Amino acid sequence: MDDDRFERLLRGYRLPDVSPDLDHRVLRAGAAIMARARTRVTVEEIGRSLLHRLGFGYVAWLVDLVTTTDAEYRVDLI
Amino acid sequence: MIRGESGAFADLYQKYRARLHQYALSLIRSRMEAEDVVHDVFVGLAKQASGGRMPRELSAYLYVSVRNRCVDRMRRKPELSLDDVGLDLIVAPPGDEERIELRRLLNRALIALPPEQAEVVVLRTWHDLDFAAIAGMQGTSVNTALSRYQYGLSKLRKELGALGR
Repeated sequence: MDDDRFERLLRGYRLPDVSPDLDHRVLRAGAAIMARARTRVTVEEIGRSLLHRLGFGYVAWLVDLVTTTDAEYRVDLI
Repeated sequence: MIRGESGAFADLYQKYRARLHQYALSLIRSRMEAEDVVHDVFVGLAKQASGGRMPRELSAYLYVSVRNRCVDRMRRKPELSLDDVGLDLIVAPPGDEERIELRRLLNRALIALPPEQAEVVVLRTWHDLDFAAIAGMQGTSVNTALSRYQYGLSKLRKELGALGR
């Protein structure tokens, strides 16, 4: 069997199935984390709008200035 | 995902789950451990995203996270079984008699490869990663990754050849 034919033979195999239990565990954990994130975003938006209405919009601006950073994530090999 | 969109998280999981699961299996060679690794990687990603930090190169981040976690687990538990009975790294498509017949043999041969060769063969063949990306993950040169791939393929072919294929 030549190289090309052997590589084609290998590529014709599929990846093994993922267990439904893993799907369930990951999606449930992810949904819970996402729900907490949505709550946090909503609370932040309400707080921001309240500050604007009370005339303290500059506080929200200052908080953004201090906390907003470029999302950069570096991965190190162990 | 940064705003807590569950749908976006589920889509990402669907897109990468099978590949990362196979990659973890090929490294750690235990179904339970591989599933725990994939679980932890996606939970870690969800936590980061919910904290407003989304990795720039998501695919690379996921692969390297799987690799790091597998290496870490193998270091912490050197007694981990590397011979999960009936471990399947590949599955034959239904109806393809030639592949069905060879599947068990190829699985065994893949698992018998040195881990660094098996890793390159898996990532190159079923994940379509280029040798530069694989070399980056293994912390080696592109030439070394290429050699590992060629040695790995050659050993697999030899195994099949021994049975007259």
